Amino acid sequence: MPENVSDPIPAEEAAVAPAPSETADGYQVRLGIFEGPLDLLLFLIRKKKIDIHDIPIAAITRDYLGYLDRKEQINLDREAEFLFIAALLIYIKSQMLLPRETDLAEQDDPRRVLINRLLEFQKIKAACSILRDKEEDQLLQWKRNFLPPLPGESELDFTEVSLFDLAESFFLLMKRRAAADTRVIRGRDVSTEEKMKELVGLLRDGQVLDFLAYFATQESLEEALVSFFCLLELIKSRQAVAVQDELFQTIRVWLRKDARRAGHHE
Amino acid sequence: MSSPLKDVLESLIFISQEPLTVDRMAAVLEGTPGEEIQAALDELIQGYATAGRGIQIVHTGGGYIFSTHPDHDRSVRKLLQIERKNKLSSASLESLSAIAYHQPVTQAEISAIRGVDSTYTLKTLLDKKLIKIVGRKKAPGNPLVYRTSERFLQYFGLNSLDELPSEDEIGKILQEEKSSEG
Repeated sequence: MPENVSDPIPAEEAAVAPAPSETADGYQVRLGIFEGPLDLLLFLIRKKKIDIHDIPIAAITRDYLGYLDRKEQINLDREAEFLFIAALLIYIKSQMLLPRETDLAEQDDPRRVLINRLLEFQKIKAACSILRDKEEDQLLQWKRNFLPPLPGESELDFTEVSLFDLAESFFLLMKRRAAADTRVIRGRDVSTEEKMKELVGLLRDGQVLDFLAYFATQESLEEALVSFFCLLELIKSRQAVAVQDELFQTIRVWLRKDARRAGHHE
Repeated sequence: MSSPLKDVLESLIFISQEPLTVDRMAAVLEGTPGEEIQAALDELIQGYATAGRGIQIVHTGGGYIFSTHPDHDRSVRKLLQIERKNKLSSASLESLSAIAYHQPVTQAEISAIRGVDSTYTLKTLLDKKLIKIVGRKKAPGNPLVYRTSERFLQYFGLNSLDELPSEDEIGKILQEEKSSEG
């Protein structure tokens, strides 16, 4: 149905679409996408100027499936949900095709369920646009309770990392090592105990350790693994802090202040 | 002419980090009737509005709080080093609005209204403290039941759920959308 799919995006979708931007591939305009199946259905109904209470199911289903096929204007993470509504449309159509002895009362209309959902959704969407205006008004009025601490020049916005971030950096490192094509004939044995001492020693004087750089110095997979476990152990026992400034950047490690002090007393 | 009551209210609101309710003010100013407080408040608010000040007292979240004037948004953001305002995503806003109108409500019910799974969106709304869990539904699986929070009201400058967009306002929007396409 080319005449249906080549239409411009609806005004409200266009409003949320980001401004066109220059990219390496030339001039690109990102079209707004339909976040959910009900968004798409409502759009089709409005576009065809259909009375929401009397939807021609066959025509709407055809248009709807046309959009699903093109996949460009729908949020692909939600494909299953789009398909679910497609199935519902087809089911409704099949119900309407069944021969009946008496005419249907309005509340028995197979479309009833869908219509009610659409009406409700439409209401929610309209309320959203009002709330969005209110949000914008409010965001212009700063209150003292919303003040974040003023970030100083030297202060960085740390995010403490989770075990998964650590593991991810570790695997990243392992991959790099594998790519480096080094061959270890027989690595020396490394004990956790020794490694732990080495790590704490490195960190003791308030030193900050670059996680990726440190592992790069490890001679073998075994040694790298042992240091990784040691690091996890230090974090678990709350002796060390691991911090990542941003996703996919290196993780920096240092000893907590009290752990450093305890270390000195030993 | 300044009245002592007006001055003390100004101090109380100034020092509050959350919207201060008339009840709280009355509790602090023992013996002062609520109507008197309300009258002084109205006068105070009016004073700020007419004098063309950089700050104002706003009625939100069921109470009163100082805020900066909208005209100075840019300068304030520069001071706070906030480049962009973080608006709610459209998925968040949609879920929030569904919760607001249908509360108390479960995740499954919200997902059904929106036609998309809303588990993740609810999690972010919980993190932002715009909604809260108020219990579990006595239904198979005992799902969690959600409501909008006090912070939700403040966020949109509302004083109670009665101030949510009404059927009339919504009807008007729908009408406008229809005519704009015609």
